[in-house]
Amino acid sequence: MNRSEENRSEYISHHGPRLLDRRNFLGTAGLSTASLALASLLDHDGLLAAEKSNGSLPLRPDIDPGNPYLSRRPHFEAAAKRVLVIYLPGAVSHLDTFDYKPALAKLHGQKPPGLPAVTFEGPTGNIAKPFWQFKPRGESGKMVSDLLPNLADQVDDFCFLHSLSTDTSAHPQGENFINTGFTQEGFPSFGAWVTYALGTENQDLPTFVAINDPRGMARSGKNNFGNGFLPAAFQGTDFSAKNPPNNLRRPASLTANDDRRTVELIQRLNARHLENYPGDADLAGRIASYELAGKMQTSVPEVMDLAGESDATLRAYGVEGGSELRGQYARNCILARRLLEKGVRVVQLFNGSDPAGGNGITNWDSHSDIFETHAMQAEIMDRPTAALIADLKQRGLLKDTLVVWATEFGRMPFLQANGTGRDHNPGAFTCFLAGAGVKPGFSYGESDEFGFKAAVDQATVYDFNATLLHLMGLDHERLTFYHNGLERRLTNVHGHVIKGILTS
Amino acid sequence: MIHALMKHKMMKSSPFNVPRINRPMQIHRFRLEIEHSVLLMSLTFVAFLTSGQARADEIDFARDIAPIFEQRCSHCHGEFEQESGLRLDRRVGLLRGGDSGSAAVVPGDPSKSYLLDVVKHLDPGMEMPPDDDPLPEEEIELLTRWIREGAMWPGQMDDVVEERTDHWSFQPIARPPVPVLEDSSLEDSPDNPIDVFLLDKLRSEGLNYSPPASPLALNRRLSIVLTGLPPTAEEADAFAFAYNKDPETAYVDRVDYLLASQHFGERWAQHWLDVIRWAETNGSESNMYRKNAWLYRDYVINAFNEDKPYNQFLFEQIAGDTVGQGDATGYLVAGPHVPVATVGQEPSARRQARADRMDEILQTIGASAMGVTIGCARCHNHKFDPISIQDYYSMSAVFQDIEFGSRFPELRPDHPRRVRGKELDAQIAKLRRQLQAIGPWEENWIGYKQFQFTPVLAEKVRITFDRKNVRLDEIEIRGPENPDINLALAELGTTASAAPETSVVRSEVTNVNDGRFGTQAWAARVPDDSPQQPWVQFHFSKPVRFDRIRLSSNREDFLETDYLVDINRFAFNGYHVEIEDENGQWKQVASTEVFSKLDQQHQERAALLSELHRLIDLVNEEGPKPSFVGRFTSPAKTFVMSRGSPESLREEVYPAGISVLDGDLGIEPYASGSQRRAAIAKWLTDTQNPLTARVAVNRVWHHLFGRGIVTTTSDFGTAGAAPSHPELLDWLAAEFMEPTQTDFPAQPWSIKQLIRLMVMSDAFQQSSLERPDVAGVNAALLWRYPPKRVEAEVIRDSILQASGDLNRQTGGPSYRIHNVKKRYAQWEVVQNHGPETWRRMIYQERMRRVDDEMFTAFDFPDCGQVLALRPTSTTPLQALNLMNSEFVMEQSKRIAARARQEVGDDSEKAVRRCFQLLLGRDPTAAEHSASTELADAQDLSLVCRAIINANEFAFLP
Repeated sequence: MNRSEENRSEYISHHGPRLLDRRNFLGTAGLSTASLALASLLDHDGLLAAEKSNGSLPLRPDIDPGNPYLSRRPHFEAAAKRVLVIYLPGAVSHLDTFDYKPALAKLHGQKPPGLPAVTFEGPTGNIAKPFWQFKPRGESGKMVSDLLPNLADQVDDFCFLHSLSTDTSAHPQGENFINTGFTQEGFPSFGAWVTYALGTENQDLPTFVAINDPRGMARSGKNNFGNGFLPAAFQGTDFSAKNPPNNLRRPASLTANDDRRTVELIQRLNARHLENYPGDADLAGRIASYELAGKMQTSVPEVMDLAGESDATLRAYGVEGGSELRGQYARNCILARRLLEKGVRVVQLFNGSDPAGGNGITNWDSHSDIFETHAMQAEIMDRPTAALIADLKQRGLLKDTLVVWATEFGRMPFLQANGTGRDHNPGAFTCFLAGAGVKPGFSYGESDEFGFKAAVDQATVYDFNATLLHLMGLDHERLTFYHNGLERRLTNVHGHVIKGILTS
Repeated sequence: MIHALMKHKMMKSSPFNVPRINRPMQIHRFRLEIEHSVLLMSLTFVAFLTSGQARADEIDFARDIAPIFEQRCSHCHGEFEQESGLRLDRRVGLLRGGDSGSAAVVPGDPSKSYLLDVVKHLDPGMEMPPDDDPLPEEEIELLTRWIREGAMWPGQMDDVVEERTDHWSFQPIARPPVPVLEDSSLEDSPDNPIDVFLLDKLRSEGLNYSPPASPLALNRRLSIVLTGLPPTAEEADAFAFAYNKDPETAYVDRVDYLLASQHFGERWAQHWLDVIRWAETNGSESNMYRKNAWLYRDYVINAFNEDKPYNQFLFEQIAGDTVGQGDATGYLVAGPHVPVATVGQEPSARRQARADRMDEILQTIGASAMGVTIGCARCHNHKFDPISIQDYYSMSAVFQDIEFGSRFPELRPDHPRRVRGKELDAQIAKLRRQLQAIGPWEENWIGYKQFQFTPVLAEKVRITFDRKNVRLDEIEIRGPENPDINLALAELGTTASAAPETSVVRSEVTNVNDGRFGTQAWAARVPDDSPQQPWVQFHFSKPVRFDRIRLSSNREDFLETDYLVDINRFAFNGYHVEIEDENGQWKQVASTEVFSKLDQQHQERAALLSELHRLIDLVNEEGPKPSFVGRFTSPAKTFVMSRGSPESLREEVYPAGISVLDGDLGIEPYASGSQRRAAIAKWLTDTQNPLTARVAVNRVWHHLFGRGIVTTTSDFGTAGAAPSHPELLDWLAAEFMEPTQTDFPAQPWSIKQLIRLMVMSDAFQQSSLERPDVAGVNAALLWRYPPKRVEAEVIRDSILQASGDLNRQTGGPSYRIHNVKKRYAQWEVVQNHGPETWRRMIYQERMRRVDDEMFTAFDFPDCGQVLALRPTSTTPLQALNLMNSEFVMEQSKRIAARARQEVGDDSEKAVRRCFQLLLGRDPTAAEHSASTELADAQDLSLVCRAIINANEFAFLP
């Protein structure tokens, strides 16, 4: 691309001092020259490994380093414009929530036939029937337990996956797997992949927001929303209804005027510096990022401020009247809705933390006294989550928003030896989806009669993630990033879209 | 070759109709091509084709076997299609197998013939034919018999499998001649061969270098790439002055000054640590701190500063324990791992975790030293490169004696830590002799308690505790005659027992003398209503003499980790020790009660004990330290893991390098772990190894010029990029191993001399300004010096240097910014800007997947995966951190204060000084007036804040 001298001077005169006005910059600066620098980083010369392996070209997003968040087209028409991932660390018992297994009641108290003697935490005990009653719900008559009465009321909107299995029975690897596609450390999160692929739809908020649990981060910490080896630009920004992003606020010692004048001086210094490097996309991008940061200083506190929410909304979400943790989580749910309304591409909402994150119950892990721990966790999760999904529906957002309710694995049909809890079960677990592109009131796949292993229409975590990308208009085999010798994918070299749950 | 292939296709004969020709014929089994039409790899079969005859009672290939292949297999594994790289129309194809790396047929051994497993549907996920039933019994029977009888294939019995590769990076390095520039007169022909190679290519595009960079830009560039720090204001001044007088001398002097700077090693160590994703935490759930792992970080810094030859540098990191440089093996355990405690109880999960740890080791070596993605061959033969699954597991056999953990690194006898340790040990021994005269006493070594008493002879000893709950990972009993032997060990025949009613599930008493430290501990719990006290008893195989007992709650924690709440805490205070006498009577030999009585009775004892504990603290601090540089274990037999699964072991393999690079290490199959590692280190650093030097010089080039000659610095395989200047790369690699161009005594494998050669080039010294005449020309041609953003470390260290706060101390424990945490909690940033953090950022605790709330946003790596190239991306979080963080606010004030202090209160002067301190230059008139206005109206610190946030500050010109 050849930029004439004439264009160059125009570029300087119009944009030098005013580069912080990003819209103006984008309007004329164009993408062509700008694409070179980061493109060489993202897209190494002739690296078409994926083409060789499976005959289909990688479809790497065309990133403008001057504005890495620019909205980008999906690979094909997407069902969902944005995605809400509600993530439940610790492993929710599918057997006590959505996966109804009458055989457990029949064999209650007996030694499990043909099931293993040792699982994750040690020796196995006897079969245990569900700790809560199951009843048919909604028009679909879906059997759901009394543990989650509010979500149960909305089953006609949900699409359940009962035949999921994972590769690990340890939490951190399980969290890594479902959120980053690999059990190991250091891979980009689902949200980072989507951000890398699609960019943003809003002009003044982060593209990808992670709302951590009030008790702290989940076990895999930043992995769950990190950028891994993708550029840092695509990481999730974490804040909650209570805590703004780090360093968002102007330091207390400064006035607004101090801040404004600092920015003016930065602009002046940058303008001079740019004279020597007028075509440098990195520099332009950096200038644009300061402008976005400035906007976030207004837009983030605004979106965090729930004062404008009606009493009816606060009531529906259960902000008051429950445990303190439910109240805090409910506020995070309202924040999630507000972010989605503003067009934030990926919102990842956590319901649980690492095991040291709070007093007593911290997540869904229930090795001892599952009856008590699941009940405490459900009290926090059920009502606000149900209200959030209902609210999205009522506001018409569910049409083009994908809602994902996910955990890392399931729990065992039997108790732990001499115990009152269920151990980890990587062989079968349940997640559900709702909203854009998925069949409502639908259940896909089955686990075996004990809920021990996935049985009918088995689906892996790779399949699950392939399906989520598909719903976002992305081909999981073609969304790649070259890293250390490989065209890396969210789904490694695996995964099939679960077609049976798609509306089209 | 294409011609040959097409000709063969046109014959259209069934592959099983053996052509009756009597001359050797070459068939190229498969070929892959990349964009640049480089032939990647070919497999040559040499077939001597003759005809054969069959008898009715024998398996006849043509009659019995060929039809099965034809009907069931050849559609996908025949002449024209080779799914999974498997071809069944030639006997060698069967012998070699497909991508899985397993031989489809082992003549004479049906049990090892993978073909039978897949057609019997014994290997889940690999059922053949796919989506169909297993083969009929009678066909399986025929195949089995055929294999048992030797898999006779008439005419092909002498075929041999021969693998070779044509890929450029696997070819030997030959020093190419330096080209002669056609259009150069003698005077303008550059001295430096690097420039000749570069200009040769550049001029063929009708281009030339840019003019030399300004002294300001040149000095900033050189200082940052060599040391990670920009010039100080004084250095900038001095260089400008010297450059004005004599540019060449000024530059050479500056280069040599920077290469000799202690900061050189800090900068280059950073690059190395990135590639191997070294960090001071494990990663994973508990993400625990790796105790004293920094000893390895210091080893790397010192290696670069001392200009340790690169071949030696690699050798020591792989086998440093054999040469008194044990701290170097931190390299092998640089990657993340999941500790046993969080893997879970299932044996299969534990085997998987071990396989994952071995994979981390191989990834480290593959990415940093070899430049190949060896991990791709973990589950099947490498898809692009000539690395088989056997190669992968043979290499993993080399490292079977390594486990992720700590040990006391092997140090040379004259190492200061060893010398100091000996000194202190002698003092401790002296004190002990004095204590002995008074009576039993207890020593607290932090990781364990040791109580000592007059030697006793007994067959049984019992220790009873004063609390209801006890938890100990190990008890050791030692005697005066041979204090290195732990008499309590079960493997010596000693049995441990405890009261059954105090037992705790999964904390059996056998854990207390199994010789293994860590979470697999013995625990005892006395029921609330019971008057009992917990005890543990040891029964030796014969009476033994002993005089000391060691107790630890979790010695693995002590050895391996730190900054953990309640680490090294004992659940009890008091205990007593009894032995059984010849009459079966228990008699007390020592107790904590007696200790305190003796303390009271003997005034001098308190002083002796306090002196002893002072010495113990000193030993722990100044003597040899346990360090997370890997621990040794006895090497297990190594098997190929089918599809990477430890549950599907196939044939045994022995330590070796990559076979296509003559990976025979010349050692016994069961050589000791250190022999294996030393052998592979020699193989790697052999001058005949085509990868090692190429990868090294390219990486150095990458860090100096912003991109490598091969842009994929850790992948020199066929999926990586082709070199932009292949001859230059080879010339540099040859020069690196056998230097010719140095003013110094030639030092093979010298990184500093290599860097010197590169930065002395005109290419490095040219301007980075954009040029209208060359828009759109590939930056790799180096028509200008390619400018770029600087890394997180440079930004932070530059700020501290400007304020004068930078503490230039080299080495030692990392400065902490995080809390002391609970085992399963996340690290939290407590303080990331105070005076104790004012060191270079390489000394910041390097934590996996933890946001330091400042520089993680600047593409600082999360250390989970190998990172050959740091991305440079832009996010508003960077802007927020650099505008609003306490670090920047505080430093802005301190820089302003320094300026005022140095030049007085005059704002104009102070502003100028701030520009000098931060940018190494004076402000322009416009900058000066705008900045002075801000300083007067608001505050000078805001000017500093603005400069810190300006593009120039974050830019390598």
